[in-house]
Amino acid sequence: MADTMGHSATATRNTSVALGFCLLAIAPQIFEFIWSIGTIFGWGAGRGPAAVVMAHATALFAGAPGALIGAASGDTKKASSEVLLALIYSYPLFAVAIVTLFMTIRSAQDYVGGVILMALALFALWASSDLQGMRGFSFGAGTAPRMFGGLLVALSAGIALTGLLSDGPAMAHYAWRGPLFVMAAILFFALSIRSLGLVVTAFASFMIAATGSNETRWLEAAIVGACLTIGCAILFPYVLGLPMPMFPRFLIQ
Amino acid sequence: MDIFANLAHGFAVALSPINLLMCLIGALVGTLVGVLPGIGTIATVAMLLPITFGLPPVGALIMLAGIYYGAQYGGSTTSILVNIPGEATSVVTAIDGHQMAKQGRAGPALAIAAIGSFFAGCVATVLIALLGAPLTKLALAFGPAEYFSLMVLGLIFAVVLAKGSVLKAIAMIVFGLLLSMVGSDIETGASRMAFNIPELADGLGFATVAMGVFGFAEIIRNLDAGAEMNRDLVQQKITGLMPTRKDLKDSTPAILRGTVLGSILGILPGGGAVIASFAAYTLEKKLAKDPKRFGRGAIEGVAAPESANNAAAQTSFIPLLTLGIPPNAVMALMVGAMTIHGIVPGPQVMQKQPDLVWGMIASMWIGNLMLIIINLPLVGIWVRLLRVPYRLMFPSIVIFCAIGIYSVNNAPVDVILAGVFGLVGYWLIKHDFEPAPLLLGMVLGPLMEENLRRALLISRGDWSVFLTRPLSAVLLAIAASLLLLTVLPALRSKRDEVFTESEN
Repeated sequence: MADTMGHSATATRNTSVALGFCLLAIAPQIFEFIWSIGTIFGWGAGRGPAAVVMAHATALFAGAPGALIGAASGDTKKASSEVLLALIYSYPLFAVAIVTLFMTIRSAQDYVGGVILMALALFALWASSDLQGMRGFSFGAGTAPRMFGGLLVALSAGIALTGLLSDGPAMAHYAWRGPLFVMAAILFFALSIRSLGLVVTAFASFMIAATGSNETRWLEAAIVGACLTIGCAILFPYVLGLPMPMFPRFLIQ
Repeated sequence: MDIFANLAHGFAVALSPINLLMCLIGALVGTLVGVLPGIGTIATVAMLLPITFGLPPVGALIMLAGIYYGAQYGGSTTSILVNIPGEATSVVTAIDGHQMAKQGRAGPALAIAAIGSFFAGCVATVLIALLGAPLTKLALAFGPAEYFSLMVLGLIFAVVLAKGSVLKAIAMIVFGLLLSMVGSDIETGASRMAFNIPELADGLGFATVAMGVFGFAEIIRNLDAGAEMNRDLVQQKITGLMPTRKDLKDSTPAILRGTVLGSILGILPGGGAVIASFAAYTLEKKLAKDPKRFGRGAIEGVAAPESANNAAAQTSFIPLLTLGIPPNAVMALMVGAMTIHGIVPGPQVMQKQPDLVWGMIASMWIGNLMLIIINLPLVGIWVRLLRVPYRLMFPSIVIFCAIGIYSVNNAPVDVILAGVFGLVGYWLIKHDFEPAPLLLGMVLGPLMEENLRRALLISRGDWSVFLTRPLSAVLLAIAASLLLLTVLPALRSKRDEVFTESEN
């Protein structure tokens, strides 16, 4: 009884890990899709969401297998960047996800860490795939990135393997509150420093960041935030001479 | 006798009022950073880089150097008094130092830590002055192949001295090398892995990544550690700073050994102050007649690591000043500071910028003197600072970091990138990857690639050039044997032993 329980437990965990890897395998595509939504509102230049989805879907389901068969039969036609992304990045990760289903993970910390690192390396390989390679003796722009990218794929595969072969710690617990609010504060700062100026931005970001801890007392935080803002507003532009917008643009005009 | 002339020149530079002031500010900020947990040296130096824009180069570097060795100092204070190591380098000091404080001997512990640090600082200063010139001559004999091999050796050292799995440390270095390749290619100008984002065309800023991985990631990590750390403050007043004669007799050999060990480990690339303090503590425990005293307030356990980390912090300037190769992440930021002021680190700096080099060396000695004079009376104030709750400190650090990064290039994208690397750093911590080798790889990446390409171009594509040039072959052989030794089980357990000290 205990045996079957244990077995089913690892089985469910493996499926969720494998599903996570599948998501990772199409993460760049999803990211580009989200990014492309902005074009509807006229932000940035690029393809619209529909075009992005179409391009990647055909690349994933038709273009890449076609290119594989083409390569096997000696056809060296230049593949598009979507097809290359599918070939270099997505397919290997799908393969890893499928393999994961049949493995006992003995150290999730190492295994998952290794696979994510591998994804980063594969992504770098794809990103440098359009660069020139060796020309005679001299390195092209793409030689070194491909060299180190390949090396990192091998190393991360090694790390993932140790996660399968030897016992180790399970996945560490990820908190959401701290990272979320600290990131929100950083994003808010980056997006509004130009238009809102240092005073408003610093104070608002301080309060957003303070939300990241459940021990925050609001009055106290507001007082410290105000003092810090005044301090920064004096220190950076006047004492250190770093030019910086101070007040919101619409107030100055 | 050149050395004396050079040192005299250095003191003349360092004793000018503005440089003295910079040295004092650096030492104070360093102590502050060392005292406060949750904000490290690397993040601070990165944060203060933009501030040095307006300063003259000598003053700027003197201040940044002061922060580095000041932090080694401050870290020991809180380790001893409150059992909270403010810096990774003073983790081992807490073991015996805090025990001494509990026995009412906080004064002698602090005094010995200060004396040990000061002595080590003096020795290291002389060592830099002595080794500087000959190493510079050696560096001039280096071709691209030798430089490449030297950097490989440095990175291997970083692996050997890193905590935890060797495989993971190597992977982190390669990841760092890959990150360093984002941006324009040095030779062809082709844009690499930049995805047409204009801000990435110049590459990822080193300060940006450092701030993300060491600043933001650390904050996020501390937040999910949750509740206030347990701070059993030593409440009673510190009386009687003077150590007894027995204390001095016990700690003198420990200080000497710590200084020697720290100086050596500091010069080696990849090591630096953290490993030096761990190694010095382990050595003392091995040599002691009665190892059981360690962990119960042995004064050697304070003297040795404190001298070692200070010596290492200073000797790590040697490879930077002579070869232009930063041996650890803080030194890498110093490279950044130098380039901001238009100085290219390398063998020519010694000749072309004698003011800078010797002024900085002399300032280290002055800085150490300042630290010993300032710190002992100010201990009470530093400890009071610890009562500032983290819930107020962390948003302040976030804002400071954000403004700091923004002001480097006036680029909001840099702030977002630092945030992204904060998340990456959080992920690295969660999967037990060490971020320090990553940064070292990122710093050495461009230098390495450039020298590799040049070496192969000169040898007309012949890879054996790295083995046929004797100097390069020796360096690579050392690197290979080091790597082999680390993987061997016997040495591995030794290496793990050094690091487990902090956990029990």
